[in-house]
Amino acid sequence: MDLNVLKSYIPLYNEALLLTVKIGFIGILTAFAIGLSGAWAIYFKIPVVKKVLTIYIELFRNTPLLVQLFFIYFALPKLGLKISAELCGILGLGLIGGAYMIETFRSGLESIDKVQSESALSLGMTEGQVFFDIILPQAFSVSMPGIMANVIFLLKETSVFSTISLMDLMFTAKDLIGMYAKTIECLFLLVVYYLIMLLPVSILGSIIERRVRYAEFGD
Amino acid sequence: MKKNLLTKMGTLVISGALIASSLAGCGAKADSSDSASAETTITEEETATADAAEETSEATEDATEDTAKVYRTLDEIKESGTINIGVFSDKSPFGYVDENGEYAGYDVYFAEKIGEDLGVDINYVSTEAANRIEYLQTGKVDIILANFTVTEERAQEVDFALPYMNVALGVVSPSDKVVESLDDVTADDQIIVISGTTAETYLEKNYPDIKLQKYDAYAEAKTAFENGNGVAWANDNTEVIAFSLENEGYTVGIPSLGDADTIAPAVTKGNETLLTWLNDEIETIGNDNFFHKDYEATLLDTYGADYENTLVVEGGKAE
Amino acid sequence: MQSLGIDVLFKGTNMIRLLKGLWVSVEISLISVAISIVLGLIVGVLMTAKNRIIRLFFRVYLEIVRIMPQMVLLFIVYFGTTRVFGMNISAELSAIIVFVFWGTAEMGDLVRGSIKSIPRIQYDSAYALGMDKFQVHFFIIFPQTIRRLIPLSINLVTRMVKTTSLVMMIGIVEVLKVAQQIIEANRKASPNAAFGIFAVVFLLYFLVCWPISRFAVKLEKRWA
Repeated sequence: MDLNVLKSYIPLYNEALLLTVKIGFIGILTAFAIGLSGAWAIYFKIPVVKKVLTIYIELFRNTPLLVQLFFIYFALPKLGLKISAELCGILGLGLIGGAYMIETFRSGLESIDKVQSESALSLGMTEGQVFFDIILPQAFSVSMPGIMANVIFLLKETSVFSTISLMDLMFTAKDLIGMYAKTIECLFLLVVYYLIMLLPVSILGSIIERRVRYAEFGD
Repeated sequence: MKKNLLTKMGTLVISGALIASSLAGCGAKADSSDSASAETTITEEETATADAAEETSEATEDATEDTAKVYRTLDEIKESGTINIGVFSDKSPFGYVDENGEYAGYDVYFAEKIGEDLGVDINYVSTEAANRIEYLQTGKVDIILANFTVTEERAQEVDFALPYMNVALGVVSPSDKVVESLDDVTADDQIIVISGTTAETYLEKNYPDIKLQKYDAYAEAKTAFENGNGVAWANDNTEVIAFSLENEGYTVGIPSLGDADTIAPAVTKGNETLLTWLNDEIETIGNDNFFHKDYEATLLDTYGADYENTLVVEGGKAE
Repeated sequence: MQSLGIDVLFKGTNMIRLLKGLWVSVEISLISVAISIVLGLIVGVLMTAKNRIIRLFFRVYLEIVRIMPQMVLLFIVYFGTTRVFGMNISAELSAIIVFVFWGTAEMGDLVRGSIKSIPRIQYDSAYALGMDKFQVHFFIIFPQTIRRLIPLSINLVTRMVKTTSLVMMIGIVEVLKVAQQIIEANRKASPNAAFGIFAVVFLLYFLVCWPISRFAVKLEKRWA
C-alpha cells in the first residue's frame, strides 16, 4: 500500500463521508417520522389510511432500495416528476426506512398490555394522554433495539446511492479505482470509513439494548 | 453492559488489525515482486552480452511472472477454446445487446472477427467504464474491447494494441440551450459524465470548478441526461454525436475537446503473446478494409457516410 | 407524451431476458441460503462454545457482517482477492461467497439463540440416557432449532433476492442490467422505455419477494 496515495485520497473520502452522513441522517429522520405516524395510524385502526399503509409497507419491504431509487430517479421524470439526486436519495431512504420503522413501532405498541390503557382511561386520562404519556414511552423503549438495527441497515443501504450519481463513500471508491486503478488503497479506505461511520452506531445500539433490557427485567 | 462494550471495542481493534495486516502483507508482497522485476531488468541490461547471464535473468523473469501472472497467454486461450472479451452492453452503437439478447455494435463486430480468426468461442463480459482496467489487471477478461481510449495513464496499467478508431471528447446539450464553450458553464450547472471515462479525467484536470454528475453506466447517464438532470453530457465525441443524431432535440455544441486520441483493444500488462497476435490481426485485416466494413455494418445507420473516414482507423495506422 | 414503454417488453426476446435475469438473482440467493443454513448450524454451535477466543472470533465476524455494506464486501471479494492472493474468482462465485458470508453469520446467530433457548434439562436427560455430545446435538437439539429456523431462513431468501440487485455492480447480468440494456437498445424507438421497464422490474421483484415473505410470516405464526 502506498501511504501517499492514501493521504491524497483522504480529503475525497471525508467529503463523501459527509455527504453519506448528511443524506443518511435526513433520510433516517424522514423514516422515523413516517414510522411513528404510520404506526400510530395503524394502532388506532384509522380506516382507509391503514389499508394504504399496509400496501405501502408490503411494496417497499419487498423490493430492493436500488430498484426503488431507479424508479424514482430515472422512471418518474418520464411522467414529468423530476427531483434532484440528493432529494431522491433522502426520499428513497425515507420511504424504505419508513416501511421498516412502522413495523418496528407497531410491534412495540402492540407489546404494551391493553389493560394499561384501559386503566389509564378509567383514571380519567384522555386518549391522547394515554397514548403519549403511557403507551408511547414504553413502546419506544421496547422498539429501541429494532430501531437501532433499522438505523444501521439504512446507513448501510446508502452504499447504493452511487447509481444515482451521489458521490457517497462507495462511489468515491469506485470512481477512484476507475480513474487511477489503486484498488487496494481505495478498498482499504472504504472499509475504514464505513467502520468510522457505523461502529459508533453499532456500539450505541448495544448500549441502548442493554439499558432497555435493564428497564424491562431489572437485570 | 461494560463487558459488551469491551467486546465491541475489541472487535474494532481486531478487525482493524486484521484488515491492516492482510493489506500490509499484500502491499509488501507487491512491493517485493515489483522490486524483483525491476532488478531483473537492470541485470538484463548490464549483462546483455553474456549469454549465460541472460538466460538466468530470463529464468528469473519467468519465475516472477509465474507468481504474479493473472493473464492467459495466447496458447492457453486457444487451448481452453474460449476467449473472454470485455465489452459494453449498454453503449449503442459500439457495444450493446439487441432485442434478441445478442451482443452487437462496432466493438462487438471486431470481437467476433477475433474469435473467428483465433478459432475459439467468445464469452462476452459486460463491463462498466470504471471497471475496464480492473478487469484486465485481475485477469477477469483477456481483452477489453470497450471503446477504450488510449491514454498515457492507462498505458501504465494495461497494454494497448494498435488503434482501430479515432476519438476526441465532445459535449452534447439540449438544442434549446446549447453549451458551446465550457467557460459558459456556471457554478450551478452540472455536467453529466461517466465514471472512469477520459471525459471525467479531462474535466477534473482542466476544469476543476465545473460540477460533475457521475454515473456508472451509459444507460443511466443517458437516461439522466434525457430527464434533464444536467445541462450537458461530456463523453467521447463519437458517442455524443451518435446521441444527437439518434435523438431529436440535442445538439453537439462542442464537437472536439482536448487531444485527438485513438481507441484500441487492451490486454493485461505483460501479455506479450496475445498483444502481438492482436497487432498482427489488426494489420492483416486492414488489408481487406475490415474496419470500413465494420463501420458500414454497425455505424452507418447512425452516422451516415460522412464520418467514415474521420472515425475509422484501418490497419492500426492512425494519422 | 408517447407510450410509457411497456410495449418494448414484447419486442424480440426482451421479456424472456428480463425473467432470465430475475432467475439469476433467485438462483444466487437460493444457493447462498442453502449453504448458509448448513454453515450456520455449525457456526451457531461453535458460538455457544465455552472457549473465549472462539467466542471473540465469532463476535468480530458478526460485527463485520453487521456493519459492512454487502456492496463493499462484493467489491472486496471480487476485486480485492485477485489483487491480494492472485486468485481469480468469477463474479457469480464472488456473489455467492459474500452472500454465504453474510447468511452464515445471521443463521449462526439465530442458531445460537435457539440453542440457548432450549432448556438445560433436555441436555441432562439426553446425557443421562447415555447419548454422546454429537448425538445430543444431532438428534435432540437440531430438530428443534431447525423448526424455528425455517421461517427465518425463508425470510433470509427474500432479503438476499433483494440484495442481488447489487451484483450488477460486479458485472453479473441480472434483471436490472438487462433492463438497462433494453432501455439502451430501444432509446431511439421508445424514449420512455425507462418508465415501463423500471416499473416492471419493480413489480417483478415484488412478485418474487412478497409471496415468500408472506409464507414466512404464516409459518412463523403457526410454529411459534
